[in-house]
Amino acid sequence: MALKRKIAYIDLTNRTVKTASIPIELRKKFLGGRGLDMYLLYNHMEPGADALGPGNVALVSAGLLVGTLASASARIHLAGKSPLTGFIGSANCGGFFAPEMRLAGFDHLVIKGKADKPVYLWIHNGDIEIRDAGHLWGHNAQDSQTLIREELGDDDIQSLTIGVAGENLVRFSCVMTSMKNAAGRTGIGAIWGSKNLKAVAARGTMDIGIAHPEEALDYNKEIITQVTSAKVSKTMQKLGTMFIWGTTNTTGLVRVRNFQSNQIPHADDIEPESIEEEMIGTAGCFGCQVHCRGRYFIKGGPYSGTYAEGPEYTSLGAFGAEVGCTSKQTVLVGNHLVNSYGMDTLETGSMIAWAMELFEKGILTEKDTNGLDLSFGNNDAVIEAVNQIAHREGIGDILAEGPLRAAEKIGQNSIQYLIHVKGMSNLHSDERPTPALSLNIATASRGADHLRSRPAIDLYHLPEKVLRKIFGNPVPYDGPLTSDFRDYEGKPWEVIWQEMCYGAVDCLGICKYHTVFLGPNMPNFDEWSKLIYLNTGLELSPKDIWDSAERCYTLEKLFNLREGQTRDMDWLPDRYFDEPTDKGLPVVRGRSIDREKFTKMIDEYYKLHEWDKKGIPKKAKLESLGLNNEPSHQL
Amino acid sequence: MSESTKKNTDKKTVKGRTSGQFRCLYCFKRITAPPGAKSTTCPHCGYAWRISWFSPGEPRIRGPVWENNEAMTRKIMAESKGGSK
Repeated sequence: MALKRKIAYIDLTNRTVKTASIPIELRKKFLGGRGLDMYLLYNHMEPGADALGPGNVALVSAGLLVGTLASASARIHLAGKSPLTGFIGSANCGGFFAPEMRLAGFDHLVIKGKADKPVYLWIHNGDIEIRDAGHLWGHNAQDSQTLIREELGDDDIQSLTIGVAGENLVRFSCVMTSMKNAAGRTGIGAIWGSKNLKAVAARGTMDIGIAHPEEALDYNKEIITQVTSAKVSKTMQKLGTMFIWGTTNTTGLVRVRNFQSNQIPHADDIEPESIEEEMIGTAGCFGCQVHCRGRYFIKGGPYSGTYAEGPEYTSLGAFGAEVGCTSKQTVLVGNHLVNSYGMDTLETGSMIAWAMELFEKGILTEKDTNGLDLSFGNNDAVIEAVNQIAHREGIGDILAEGPLRAAEKIGQNSIQYLIHVKGMSNLHSDERPTPALSLNIATASRGADHLRSRPAIDLYHLPEKVLRKIFGNPVPYDGPLTSDFRDYEGKPWEVIWQEMCYGAVDCLGICKYHTVFLGPNMPNFDEWSKLIYLNTGLELSPKDIWDSAERCYTLEKLFNLREGQTRDMDWLPDRYFDEPTDKGLPVVRGRSIDREKFTKMIDEYYKLHEWDKKGIPKKAKLESLGLNNEPSHQL
Repeated sequence: MSESTKKNTDKKTVKGRTSGQFRCLYCFKRITAPPGAKSTTCPHCGYAWRISWFSPGEPRIRGPVWENNEAMTRKIMAESKGGSK
């Protein structure tokens, strides 16, 4: 049955593999995916370990519902200590790898040590083999997958791979699968590169074993109707996640030229409808009916004829608004390159945008960039900078270090222009008009992050009655909630609720676009409770699922505290407070965050979490979640 | 899960969907655009939107009619002196 998958401990230094069963009590507490990864990270990594040293761990975990009859259950979660921030390293992606790993008999991999030469793992029907990867080293993320299939003679093999960015220890390199599915944030690719781990390949034919297959199939049909009938899904089927741009740039909620404006007018060429003209169709992940992934060939220029997939919404900012470019060609080429190299599109664009502002202000000159003209809007320079970062050449070698290390190397007052939290850059969004989203990025466990919490429906002006229905389930909440996204009151709870919503699906392995992220009527805790029962046989109430998500988030907090995080890191760059927005609709224009009100929001956020004033979880809270004895070394 | 949720989640949800309309991003009232229109002006507030159609009967805002909306915003901002909250 679905719960009988195993965990494997792989020591790359000694080339040993051990396997074990997963106690059902740990399943119930942490579910799978991100939840069990956080348990494993907190238990298996020595405090203070070097993120790029053999003491770090590389974790690979399938969500609890992966490969079952639950819709969009394709997510694989990866973890370790982040080489970018020094705190939680955590990222997940869709595609087809996660279900394949489950079909091959494993839910979780704990990879330790460092191989003496490049290797990859081959997982096949209950066996794990450590194989030579010398012939794969130096190849991009997609070619490596093809080479593995050719070597092992099976076109159905699915692989997670790093590209040259991971090999070169770019601190925001990804682990990739398929053409563009990227476990993108916090630099997991560099962890793999530091261990000489090029890939993990899987192929399996072991029955998942659905607990109640007929009922699960019927119920999933209902879920599919619920999801695909939503306007947000129908729009994504045509425009992918890029569709969000129509609202954000129109309103004035994107960051432009690093952080110098909040709207890029007349940029018709990078609007999703314009980019969609280049598409030859869409593709989807395992078990998903939305199919939001664009497919295209690059036309013209040195990459002409290259097939690629995407771009996602984030790349419109990374190679568009943030760098002051309004050419879809730059977006499409930049998207292809970061996927090929295995680099976080968001961090790459942010680092280039930051360098461009430093160039504009004279902090960086052509002497520093070896003649590269890093002026905003220079399309060729953006593409060249992507190449230099991946190969650690020229100014790219500094930018590859990520925000804080790069600022330290460049010096002067360059740090003032970084748009980061805890050493991780922000999405190309501007949260100055939206206190809820500001709080979300300031407090997120990974850094400036839209994927730990994003109460985006705060922007929808929903009536309080609807907000109460959403944010009052499965944990009752009778505090303030308001329809005005400019308000500070009530928003801390929205941030926490969304943390648990995202935490839950990250533990289950379901895509966030199938949740109350951008659609208030999408599946929620009630639906997940039923999906878990029908597919695995586990009886978990919506509140039980919430509790699992909270355990996961609390362990992330404990990990960060153990690695030196302090309250002052739950904060925003000064520009959020000191530089009001200059464009957009009246409701967002002239907005900045109020320091005093924001401090109170953080106090309220900690209080609702039952953390003390320093952000440390209280003893009673840990006891109520059953975390008071961690690390417990049960697995 | 309550009985009502268990029975008809998908059907109730589908019934509650609105189609053929979109919300004005300034006043948040629903607008019905003429079929195939490339732009329309909100009858409630006067903001003008460029429209795209992700399916034949389903419009969405592609972007603002820049000059119109910028002029309106400047006027509103001047009248409200920043519209601070």
